[in-house]
Amino acid sequence: MSSTEQGTSSAAPAEPTTAPESAAAPEVPESFYYVHGKDKVVHKVSAGALQHSALIHGMISNLGYTEEQAKANPFPFENIDGDILQMVVDWCNQHKGKPTPPEDTNLPKQKEKLFDLVLAVNYLEIKELLTYCCKQVAMMVKGKSPEEIREIWMIPTDAEDEAAEKEAKKRAGKEAAGETAAAAGDAK
Amino acid sequence: MSFDIDKLAEKTENLSIDPVYDTNWCDMPTEIKRECIGKMEINERLSLRCTAKAERSLVDSQKINIRRCDIHGTPPFTQYVSLTSGIESTHRFRSANEQFKFMKYIWKVGVFENLYISLCQLAFKEEFIDYSGKISAKSIEFDYCDEEMILAVLKNTENNIKSITMNAQGRRTYPFDEILATSQVQNANYWHIEYHQQTDALYKVAQIDGSFAEFLEHFADRIVSESEKRVRISTKNPDRHILLERGLDDVVQVHYFPQYFRLLVISANMNESEYDDNCKQWILKMEPEFYVDDPDNH
Repeated sequence: MSSTEQGTSSAAPAEPTTAPESAAAPEVPESFYYVHGKDKVVHKVSAGALQHSALIHGMISNLGYTEEQAKANPFPFENIDGDILQMVVDWCNQHKGKPTPPEDTNLPKQKEKLFDLVLAVNYLEIKELLTYCCKQVAMMVKGKSPEEIREIWMIPTDAEDEAAEKEAKKRAGKEAAGETAAAAGDAK
Repeated sequence: MSFDIDKLAEKTENLSIDPVYDTNWCDMPTEIKRECIGKMEINERLSLRCTAKAERSLVDSQKINIRRCDIHGTPPFTQYVSLTSGIESTHRFRSANEQFKFMKYIWKVGVFENLYISLCQLAFKEEFIDYSGKISAKSIEFDYCDEEMILAVLKNTENNIKSITMNAQGRRTYPFDEILATSQVQNANYWHIEYHQQTDALYKVAQIDGSFAEFLEHFADRIVSESEKRVRISTKNPDRHILLERGLDDVVQVHYFPQYFRLLVISANMNESEYDDNCKQWILKMEPEFYVDDPDNH
């Protein structure tokens, strides 16, 4: 796991690196927070970078805490894969305090990673990154026919959908019948 | 402080219980799908809506800005719809029914900058008259459409059209009373009638009949000012005047044919120094190729 000025990723949170002080005026020390994903690897991220995430920003804005308390209570995003969270953290760091460009060419091209990233970004409410990701998803099917789109995105046909629905109903019916029989057996 | 930490713990605990994500289009939440569809061009949307019923209803719920939409319906030669949003795409059809089905989708989702309609088929007219959806367009140009078709389209158009252009060539009668009475025409900033002299358009619009000279004669008692280029008359509304302008410049001279006119409703307080002397601009709007040979144009 790599360490950067704004963010450090490790199994155990490391000490923050101090940014070089400006000669003009002493800067207010930046506060850092800690997040981890499914892989439990902790990422240290500055409050400035986390401002991109409306969810995290909303959570931390009302929490007065010390560095130690933040370190001891990393935000657990168990629903986000470690590498996806790493991408999100990297993006937030790269775009910290900067206007976001109209295009972002560094987004993953692989379908699975991109969809995971979309869901993570949607969950974390990072509006600009979500816009880029959705654009990238749209680009996946540029110039494709309905059959090709169905294949790329694994969209079932209406017939397949209906069959799956019937099967699910059948299964649910069987389970309900089984439960009723079991309940009747218990009553006896 | 302990309260804050408790709150933080509670929040992070809540975060932890969310489900693990899958990674497929079909597992995307509806709002994300909509956002992605919103980023697609028209062709990709058309393809996606053919994949499954659920996708179709999603695609149909998303509006798309279309810079230009040309609808041609003169079977069997020119029966197509050409759309330009990002890139241009042309869709050809074998029957009016097939084309109208496509157009209904386009009208439902499209927000048009420019809509050009050239339809002279009875089947279309009947479909239009029965159509109850609304079309959203900033500018509509009718070409080879009869009055019933124009009325049927206008009736189905949102009431915020900025510009309406229609062609009266070859028509002996034109139901201007009905067309003029539509709220779409009443509210449009610009109404352009090509070959107006074949109709009673000017008479209906400004209660006059015929040419520049007749305009002067008809409104003799209301003339505020007159010149070779302009006649300004007062109206029943003391705050408003009507200005009839004739397009005259180095290229379009007094004996030039055709002649170009425009009617403007202006403030009664407008000074003559505020008149727009650049008739080239509005003539070009009527006839975009007009000044092609003018050396000043290059």
